[in-house]
Amino acid sequence: MSLVDLRDVVKRYGPLTVLDGVSLSVEKGEIIAIIGRSGSGKSTLLRCVNGLEPIQGGAVTFAGTVVNDPGTDLRKLRQQVGIVFQSFNLFPHLSVERNITLAPTVVKGMDRRAARELARTVLRKVGLEEKIDAYPDRLSGGQQQRVAIARSLAMSPQLMLFDEITSALDPELVGEVLKVLEEMAADGMTMMLVTHEMGFARKVASRVVFMHQGKVWEQGPAAQTLARPRTPELETFLSAVLH
Amino acid sequence: MIRELAFIDVLYLIAAMRWTLALTAIAFAGGAVVGLSVALLRVSPVAPLRWLAMLYVHAVQGTPLLAWLFVFFFGLSIVGITVSPWIAAAAAYSIYAGAFLGEIWRGCLQSIPRTQWEAGASLGLSFTEQLRHVIIPQAVRVAIPPTVGFLVQLIKNTSLAAVIGFVELTREGQLTTATTFRPFSVYLIVAALYFALCFPLTRWSRRLEGRLHVAR
Repeated sequence: MSLVDLRDVVKRYGPLTVLDGVSLSVEKGEIIAIIGRSGSGKSTLLRCVNGLEPIQGGAVTFAGTVVNDPGTDLRKLRQQVGIVFQSFNLFPHLSVERNITLAPTVVKGMDRRAARELARTVLRKVGLEEKIDAYPDRLSGGQQQRVAIARSLAMSPQLMLFDEITSALDPELVGEVLKVLEEMAADGMTMMLVTHEMGFARKVASRVVFMHQGKVWEQGPAAQTLARPRTPELETFLSAVLH
Repeated sequence: MIRELAFIDVLYLIAAMRWTLALTAIAFAGGAVVGLSVALLRVSPVAPLRWLAMLYVHAVQGTPLLAWLFVFFFGLSIVGITVSPWIAAAAAYSIYAGAFLGEIWRGCLQSIPRTQWEAGASLGLSFTEQLRHVIIPQAVRVAIPPTVGFLVQLIKNTSLAAVIGFVELTREGQLTTATTFRPFSVYLIVAALYFALCFPLTRWSRRLEGRLHVAR
């Protein structure tokens, strides 16, 4: 059974159809790069997986749980599915430590001392252990994003969603964030990432999914799909982003 | 009988401030309880609760405080319920302050970006946990200046309680004027005493705001 399974997912905002019958399966350990023009539904697709966006048709399943079932406990689900946003969304009033330990202590009932150790462990993974007592506004964009990744990792999710996490960063800070992603990939984390970093997608992703007009337009193994697009739309898109 | 304005009159005025302060304290305490409930209902995910709170706010903001004081003090006695001026004042001021504080605090809660709620939800926090750990701590900082601003209004509005028998600062001023016939001096003193209450509050709010800002 796939870890994530989307079947004929339809998402509308009023008269606008953002996802128009999307089907996609993700196996454990896969790294899926979702690419496409802005407005093609990439981010919406990602946000449907952890139930941030209610859907109007089809089904989203994670590890056998139907995400869009009103009876599903989304709080439980979200402990299994981490998400990192383009704009970091750290809690500005809390230190790096509390940003990371808030959910483990409040949601999982972990005690504060164990949680601080956990914060150290996940911060080490993103190379920011020395920033444990800093406040978010003292950190660079790249550092903030790495803390956001650490905050998600602290919940030990089975799946990580990344929503254009390098798009708001200065170019020289992109590398440090992508490096963290590569290490997570090497650790075997299942990941779905919306990205504009084609080089990164080619190098790290196991599969590339090209979204166009709210549909999965084309998908396949990363290197092959990016090098030899089968549809003219993907070809046009690639020639636009690569220049 | 008309007599001279003496130092003892100033002392009486100062003594009358205690009722102004007591009324303010009651009004703010009651208003805070009502206001917090209203603010939370206004951001609740349940639509009928939001409407109910909005109806309340509109109803109270569209009616004069004086009317509420009359309703609770004179109105209830007509239907056979006798209430003390304190109870009537507490009820009327809580209703009034609750509506305004509720609106102020709703605005503060809503000034926190939706992405902060999302970040909390994505980590598995419930609605109340998001409020308590993520939204309210940030909203409090935003809330201090307008809340103190309203508190200053409230101090001055306690003078309306004179209509149901409270001899607070303004009423005491009126009485003193009646015996001394020195309205200019008396009301100048009254104004100075109100200023002495309100100005430090405003200063304190500035300082608090600055301190909380550093702590972020």
